[in-house]
Order: sequence, then C-alpha cells, then structure tokens
Amino acid sequence: MICGVKDTEMFKVIIPTRPNICNFIACLLITCSLVITCGGLFYINKSQSTVLEFNLFSINSVEFNYIIILDYISLPFMAVVTFIAARVVFFSKDYMAGDPTLERFMWVVFIFVLSIIALIIRPNMIRILLGWDGLGLVSYCLVIYYQNVKSYNAGMLTALSNRVGDVIILIAIALTCNTGTFNFTHVINIDIKIWGPICLLMAIAACTKSAQIPFSAWLPAAIAAPTPVSALVHSSTLVTAGVYLIIRFYKPLISIGLNKPIFIISILTILMAGLGATLETDLKKIIALSTLSQLGLIIIAIGLGIVKLAYLHMLTHALFKALLFICAGNIIHGINDNQDLRKVGTLCLQVPLTSACLNTANLALCGAPFITGFYSKDIILEAMLITSQPHACLVIVYLATALTVTYSVRLRFYTMRRIASINNVLSINDLPKFSSKALVPLTLLSISGGAILSWILIPNNPTPCLPLTWKIIILVVLTIGWLTSISILKFNLEPCLLHKSTPTIEFLGSIWFLPTLATRFYSWPLINLGFLATYLVDRGWNERTSAKIFGSQASTIRTALQSQQISSIKIHLTTYGLWFILVLLTVIICFSSLIWAKFWRNLGEYNSWSILGI
Amino acid sequence: MLKIILLTVIISPLGWKNKWSLVVTAIIASVLVALTIPINKDIYTKLAYDTGLDVTSLSLIILRAYLAALIIIARTSVSRLNFKPTWFVTLILALTSLLLWTFSTLNLFIFYLLFEATLIPTLILILGWGYQPERIQAGIYILFYTLAASLPLLIFILWLKLSIGSLNFTLINYTYNDPLGYLACCASLIAFIVKIPIFLVHLWLPKAHVEAPVSGSIILAGVLLKLGGYGLIRIGPVFYNSVPRINIILITISLLGGSIVSFICLRQTDTKRLVAYSSVAHISLVIAGLIVGRASGLAGSLTLIIAHGLCSSGIFCLTNIVFERTGSRNMLICKGLIQIMPSIALWWFLLRICNMAAPPSINLIGEIILINSVCSWNLASTIPLIIISFISAAFTLYLFSYTQHGSINSRMYSFSSGNMNEYTTLILHWVPLNLLIIKADIFILYLNSLK
Repeated sequence: MICGVKDTEMFKVIIPTRPNICNFIACLLITCSLVITCGGLFYINKSQSTVLEFNLFSINSVEFNYIIILDYISLPFMAVVTFIAARVVFFSKDYMAGDPTLERFMWVVFIFVLSIIALIIRPNMIRILLGWDGLGLVSYCLVIYYQNVKSYNAGMLTALSNRVGDVIILIAIALTCNTGTFNFTHVINIDIKIWGPICLLMAIAACTKSAQIPFSAWLPAAIAAPTPVSALVHSSTLVTAGVYLIIRFYKPLISIGLNKPIFIISILTILMAGLGATLETDLKKIIALSTLSQLGLIIIAIGLGIVKLAYLHMLTHALFKALLFICAGNIIHGINDNQDLRKVGTLCLQVPLTSACLNTANLALCGAPFITGFYSKDIILEAMLITSQPHACLVIVYLATALTVTYSVRLRFYTMRRIASINNVLSINDLPKFSSKALVPLTLLSISGGAILSWILIPNNPTPCLPLTWKIIILVVLTIGWLTSISILKFNLEPCLLHKSTPTIEFLGSIWFLPTLATRFYSWPLINLGFLATYLVDRGWNERTSAKIFGSQASTIRTALQSQQISSIKIHLTTYGLWFILVLLTVIICFSSLIWAKFWRNLGEYNSWSILGI
Repeated sequence: MLKIILLTVIISPLGWKNKWSLVVTAIIASVLVALTIPINKDIYTKLAYDTGLDVTSLSLIILRAYLAALIIIARTSVSRLNFKPTWFVTLILALTSLLLWTFSTLNLFIFYLLFEATLIPTLILILGWGYQPERIQAGIYILFYTLAASLPLLIFILWLKLSIGSLNFTLINYTYNDPLGYLACCASLIAFIVKIPIFLVHLWLPKAHVEAPVSGSIILAGVLLKLGGYGLIRIGPVFYNSVPRINIILITISLLGGSIVSFICLRQTDTKRLVAYSSVAHISLVIAGLIVGRASGLAGSLTLIIAHGLCSSGIFCLTNIVFERTGSRNMLICKGLIQIMPSIALWWFLLRICNMAAPPSINLIGEIILINSVCSWNLASTIPLIIISFISAAFTLYLFSYTQHGSINSRMYSFSSGNMNEYTTLILHWVPLNLLIIKADIFILYLNSLK
C-alpha cells in the first residue's frame, strides 16, 4: 500500500474503499443500543440492579474481583453512548470517505466505544482501569490519527494528562488495599482516615479525565483528531468518564466534604471556558470549550448534591454535543477542510439541513425552554438559588450561562448570516445519503431527549419552588447574553472591542495560559533533567567512577611497568646484577645455615632444626 | 524434570541439520510438558539430584523455554545471512539447558556456578552475532560487571558451607544465623543486584542490549536479567530478618534510580537503548518489591518479572524488525513506519502499552501489587513510584509516536510490510502477556510457599 504519494503518474493510488466496515459497525452499535435500552427500561421499571462478581485472585484476604454492574445508571448511559457512536460511525462514513486507512480508523473507534462500555459496567477500583486506561490510550491513537505535528503534540498532551489520572488511580488502589475491598459502590463504613486520601486521589483523577481546571489544556487541544472522533471524545465518552467516576464515587466523596473544592474548581472552569469560547475563532475549538463549560456545570450539580440531575445533564449534553460536532464536521468538510469561523458564511442558504440541526443543538446547549438542555440545566441553575450559595459563585455561574448564549449566537451569526469575505467558490451541500442518517435522529433526540430521559430517570422531578422574580432570572440572563452578542455583532463592534492584543484578552483567549502551563512550563525542565541525568550521571560520574576507572587505572599501571621493560642495556645489566646478588645471598645463607645446623647437631644439643631432618 | 531435560537433549541434533521448525516444535512441546508438572504450592516438588521445582522456578523455566522457541522463530537475520546457523542453534540450546539447571537446582554453589556459566554463551552470542565493533566493549562490560560483582558471593558461599555445612536453599533459610551481618548481606546480594540490574551498576545493560543481536537481546531481557531476580528471591529471605536495615539503602537507590533512568529514557534517540533503559526503570520496581521483604512484594515481583520478560523481549523483536528494514536503530531515521508497516504498528502499540502497564496485561497486576507493597513499607516512596509510572508512559508514547508518526525517511526504497515469522513472534509474545491475567493466581501461589 502506498500512501502519501497522491496523483502522480508513477503511483496510481488505489484507495481500498470498503464502506461495508462502517455499515457493519454501525449496525452492531445500533443493535447494542436497542438491546441495552430495553434492558435499561426493564431495570428502571423494576428499580433493581444486578451485580455479577467473580474472584480473580486474592492476596492475604484482599480480594481482586471482576465485577459487572447493571443498573439504572450504567444501562441508560451505555444506551446513549452506543446510540451516539452509531450515528458518529454513519457520519464518519461520509466524513472519512477516501481515507486510505478507513478500516483502521473504524476499528479504533469501535475499540474506543468498547472501552467506555468497560468503564461503565465495572465500577470497581481495579476493573475501572481497563476502561480508564483503554480510553486514554485509544483516544491517543485517534488524536494522532492525522500525520502532522499538531496532532502529534495534541495526542501527547491528551495521553499524558490522562496518564496523570491513571497513575493517581494506581496509587489510590494501593491505598485502598487497607480497606479490603475495591468495590467503592458499596462502601458502608466510611472512615475518614482511610477514605480521605483515597477520595482526594479519585477526585483528582476524575478532574484529569473531565478536564477540570489544572488539567483543562488537553480538551481544546484534542480537536486535532478527526471530527467524528471529537464528536465521540467531547460528547459522551472520554470527558464523561471522570464525571461518571464521581457519580459512582459520590457517597464517600460527599461524606468527607470533598464536594466543596470540586464545586469551586468547576465554577472556575465554567467561567474560563465561557470566556475562552467567546474569544475563539476556531469552529471546533468553540464547541470543545463549550463542552468544558457544560462539564463544569455537571460537576457543579454534583457539588450541590443533586447527582441525579448531574447524571441527566451528562446524558442530554452528550446528545446535543455530538450533534453540534457532527454539524461542525459537515461544515468543515464542505469548506475545504477549513475550520476558521472568519472564512465561513451564509451557510443557511447552502446547507439548510445542517444549519437547522446546528441551530437546534445550539438552542439545546443554551438551555432554551422545552428543548433538551432545559430539563436539566434549568433545574441545576435554580438549585443554585435555593441552596444559598455564596453570591460570587452565583454571579459567576450566571455569567457563564449568559456567555453560553453569547458564543452560541456568535457561532450562529458567523456561520449562517454573515457574508464570507473569502472562499466564494464552494461546492458545499448536505449529502442526504450519509449525513441525514447521522443528523436527523440526533436532532430529534436533541429536541425531545431531555423530556424523555427526565421522565424516565427522574419520574417525580422535584422542581424548586421560587418566587416569580427569581424564576425568570434565568430567562433574563439568557436574553441579556443574546442581546449583548447580537448588538456587538450587528454593529460590528467586535474588532474594536475584542480584537486588540491586550494582556487581558490574551489571558482569557488562551484559557488562562493553561496550554502553556501544561506543556512548556514543565516539559523543558523535565527534558533538561533527562539531559543532566544522561550526561552528568549516566555517562558522567557513574561511568567514570565504575567502569572507566578500572580501564584508566589498569592502563596507568601498565605504562609504569612497561617503561621498565624497554630493551636498554643499562636496565638489563642492573637487573642482572641485582638478581645475581640476590641469588648469591640466598645460596650463601642457606649453606651457612646448613653448616651451622650440622655444627649444632654435632654439639648434641636439642634444637628445632632436628625436626627437619637435617 | 527428566522429561524436559531429555527433550532438550534430543532436540539438539535437529539444529545441526538445519531443521529449524522441528526445533521450535520440540521446544514448545517441552513447554507444554513443563506445564503439566503438578506443583505443590507449599514445598518443592520433583526433588531429585539436588534439583526441585516450586512456582518461581517452574514459571521461569517455562519462560526460558518459551523464549528460546521465540528466538529461533525470530532468527531471520541469522538464516538469511547464513552465518553459522548450526552454531547459533546449538548455542541457544546450550544456554536453555544451562538455564534449566540453574532454575531447578537447590544447591547454592551449583546455582552460582551456572549463574556464571550462562555468561559464556551470552558473551559468544554478543561477540559472534553482534554487528558492530563496539560489541567487544559491550562484551567486556557484561563480563566484568557480572563477574567482579559475583566474586564476593563465591567467598560467602564457601564460608557458608564451612559454617553451616549445607548449601541447600531451604536449609539456609532455617539454619543461617548471622555473625557477619552487613558484610555477608552485601557480598551475597550485590551479585544479583548487578545482574538485575539496579541503578548505578546498570551501565553494562544498555551496551549489551545495543550490541547484541535480537536473540541476545531477547535472552538478556527475558531470562538473564531474571536470574538476578531469581537469586534475590532465593537468597533474599535469609537477610530479611537478620539485616533489616539494608533495605532502606537498596530501595532508595532502586526507586530514585528508576526515576532518574526514566528521565534518561526521554533523551534517547536509539530505539534499542531506550528499551534497555526502560527495562532498568521497570526492574527497579521489582528490586524494591523484593527487598521490601513482604509476601505481596515477592508475588508482585514474580509477576512483573514474567511480564517484563515477555514484554520487553517482544519490543526488542520489534526494534529488530525495523532495523532489518531501515538498517538503523535511530528514531530520526525510523519514522512514519505506520505508513509502510501498518500491521506491525498495531503490535508496536500493543506491546508498548503493555510495557507501561496498561490493562489487561499482567504488567498491571504486577505493578499494582508492587506499588501496594512498597507504599505500605513507606508512604514517601509513592513519589518516586508516581514519577516512574508517569514518565514510563511518557517515554513509551514517545517511542511509539516517534517511530510511527511523521514522514518516511526518503532513502527508503523498498521494504516488506512484515512476514509470518515476525507476526508469529509478536503474537506469541503478546498473547500470554494478556491472557495470563485471567489466571493470575499462578503467581500469587508463591505467597503460600513463603515461610
């Protein structure tokens, strides 16, 4: 197979087009989705859960078990994941068409889905590693799928950020051995002395996967992956793994009071992501940052203690975010693989289906009434009001909500309404053959999914009772965001307000310098440490004091000895003379002693020489 | 025991007749025969002529026979260049026979003798089938490091024989009382620690690996390094109670050294050298686990020894596969390989991630148990453990993506995307590594035999 050499006379590129693989995997996933949905409805209806467990091995009463859990949390989540994955596979059949290694791509995506399923059904400290590590590594393969430097770097950043979580879980496992069980779902006696450090480590691990603030840099970088991968990674799989871990680990976490720090971190994240997205011009990066802010919202809900709503928002967010990415992918595919907002425009005339879907997803993202996002987001925001949080937190969260509207409107304005300044000649259209299969079901669920899921999962949803002025506060905030955005865009105020390179704008636009902090800040010292370790230690004093010193000492001694053996007549004669004298002396001494011995024996006295028989 | 020995002996004429496939079949058969040996988890079984088997020795015996078969499958360069193939196979078989005796003997002196004797075939392998003039230096390094370090052990053994009258492993544990203290401990442990090797005396390892042919690398990484670990498992328990303080020094050196070596790995551009250094980093965990002197540490060490033997020898096969095509081990030349060898790239990925303890490999089990035992020894040791674990992922991915990613070197004209031999070797490395997790008990059995 020859790749990389295209359209030359010598090598005619024969691209192995095997669309069957996409259909096969998509059908498999749809079947899985249907079966799991039925199972999930059954389990919810019966309100029961099944735990399958068998023993791998045990060391001194610490049991390493293999565990599978099926309940109202794992089954709907799996159903949503497989549903989205099937749509993404349909989409990538179109998006990745003509790619010479499509088959590899599809299988890696499939393994990716398998790992998230492995993560979902095994909430055991050790078993979760299978899915957890698998997600990190397979996402690494997907991010570096394109052979360029940007994806190489993004892949490394993604993989290493996730590896921090893996290592932390490994340490947590080591600490958990003290408790005797690895099944954190049924921990009853929570001793803060034992569980405190473990919970802290698990919370940090969850923050790495869900890209909360110290570890946020990888999420916007991971858009270097092909767009179908982004639709999976940023919607339902990789980023939700951390949230899922916290949801499963919730009881020990809240009993030692770790939900407060998590709450504050997520509030900072939501603000950071909102401001970053408002200043971004990369189409995919805006959507990635919006994912970050939605994740922040989910973790805020967990911090508030409304875990079921957090779970609901995780599912609904997965639906509309996948749709958003697929729409963005369609647009990018249409405009010559360009993802700069400033080079797009008037798409509502050229791609009506994609535009409609994009608008729907955006509305759902903003939490517009009675569309998917509303059912969970609205209640989470109202819960902020009734649980008497600090005013600063309230202000930041509501500001971030307004910012969601701002960047959504901005995205819509740039792609749909504005007349593009360049790239006038484009042959962009919706391919109904492929993309409608991906777009339409997701759009339908993006409209109705919130209602359906909330009715199924939280049948008696406790709606917060608030005065009318408080109740409409969210609508007011949304309207303010919309008005601000529209007025800035309509009167073309953006260049004079935001396109200046002031330190503040740079700080906010580069999501608080986190990408730099996550890469260059420590990579150079580490690499330099490697340099020092190589040339100072390994090839330096270590080799010189152990191996080299023998060689140099031996050669010094050899030189000293050899200099005495040069054929010089003086040295020869001197040595001869010395040896002659030495031998002569010896002989004389021996003989004289013999003579003396005889003499003494003759004298007849006792002496020691007689034993020798002389 | 006799079954395996006889099989190994009968095999050797086949090698002289260039019946390679028959040799491989016979060795695999001996592995299968060895698997049928019933092992009692409490005591040594199959006691005869001062030899005996327990879980540790049997699993290492199986490992060495298995790797010997893999070496003969992966010997493509030897058979293609036709450079003394009969000598080669005789040497490999001699080495495996020696190792069989080494792992099954119960006598400390015989163990010492064979421990040194395995050095000779290895040296011949490096000097004979290596491909660069630097192999002379590498040979001298490996010879003098292991030889010089093990001479104190000889003196200790002779002294032991005089003082307690027996050199049987089991009897030493019971009858040894400690008049010499630190001196005896250092004398006996240093030979094995150099062989494993620990940081500071690891210098021979990268040199030997780089200069050795692929078979030499496999046997070095797979079995010979494990001889040191085996020696520590056998003779270490003698000192756990009598000189408990020695472990602070050794664990500190091994863990800090492991972290330093991980950083060194990040600076390598030579694929083979990187893998060699990475094995020093991983083995540092094994040393720490053994020296801690806990039951779980020993179990984890045995698991990681087996896992590392399979995993790193697989990666050496991969580097050799690339070397045979590009003629270079340099990462700046071996780039973009996924475009020309996509199926081999899969094996690169699978074996590399096993090296960084990704599930479901037994590396993970070993590492979990080791981290647990070392952490429970002292909580401060989590910091070097975190560094080793994290940086090992970094250099693993660095090697994988630097070789697979990017543009192909323009001087590459024609190449083969891999042949059956190579795929067979890689699959046979990977499958036991990932399937053994289903029956991870077999390594933990060791715990119950520990008194």
